[in-house]
Amino acid sequence: MTAKEIQDRVVKILTPYVKDEKALASAGPATNILEDLKVNSARLVDVVLAFEDEFDIEIADEDVDSVNTIGDCVALIEQKV
Amino acid sequence: MSEVRLPARERAALLVQLGVSRLLSPVWIPFTGAIMWLGLGWRVAAAERAVARAEYRRLRRESKAPILICANHLTMFDSFVIGWAIGYDRDYLRDFGALPWNTPETVHFASNWWKRVLAYLYKCVPVRRGSDRAEVAKVLAKVRFLLARGQTALVFPEGGRSRTGRIDVSAAAYGVGRIVTALPGCRVLCVYLRGESQKTWSDLPRRGERFHVSVACIEPKSDQRGLRASLDVARQITARLGELEQRHFDGR
Repeated sequence: MTAKEIQDRVVKILTPYVKDEKALASAGPATNILEDLKVNSARLVDVVLAFEDEFDIEIADEDVDSVNTIGDCVALIEQKV
Repeated sequence: MSEVRLPARERAALLVQLGVSRLLSPVWIPFTGAIMWLGLGWRVAAAERAVARAEYRRLRRESKAPILICANHLTMFDSFVIGWAIGYDRDYLRDFGALPWNTPETVHFASNWWKRVLAYLYKCVPVRRGSDRAEVAKVLAKVRFLLARGQTALVFPEGGRSRTGRIDVSAAAYGVGRIVTALPGCRVLCVYLRGESQKTWSDLPRRGERFHVSVACIEPKSDQRGLRASLDVARQITARLGELEQRHFDGR
């Protein structure tokens, strides 16, 4: 799976949680999930659990600490798949 | 679970804060109680307070396993009232570890120098909600470090003041579960506190407020792993708080 394919699926998973849809339209690896997309921080764990289901991987608690941008998500998933 | 270890400098800073806070506690603990009792006229229902204090004292005495206090959250001063409701001043002066640490929102309790001084004395580790995950993880690591050293901490599993005025189980913040799952044998004292005139959330309870308090101790466990285990534990705690809330309203 390429990084681009992972990114597209990540963006799709993020979509229901995003408050700033305009920012989502131009989202890239550097887009910050909490600050740019305005995803509620309490919902970030739901997003990560959705990654686990979508990619059939297991993500540890401490891995979530490194997730700030879409690029971070892609890098984390690439490590696990 | 391979949680990140708190750096030595951070651990030392917390121990210094603990020492300073303890040194000055004969001044600030009675002073705080006097402000709530005499200045604001707050009261906690005596029979319920006695039960809560007995249960908390029992937990402290029966084992050295960590205790995390989890409560519903309706006002910015809940942690003060809860500390007062579950323990006597004299108990805290004798067993300073029983006085819970708090994780207040930086915006409210650390926004200027005098609030920072008070937060330092009042055993607070401020957190900026919704901030960088690494920063939040550091606060969680601090709480775990303190609990593992026999201190207690008070956290609000809903993450913030309830906008509906009622417990929202779906709002359970997984960080609470993360603290519990990282500390084997961790006990959770669920505390439900509500003022009689508190219809929904607010900044300050009203002057002369009469509070009701109820407590329940649980040791949440999960068969799941990783994030799912943390979330499962957080939801068990919030669900128990929801039961205490139901009992509160059933009894009115």
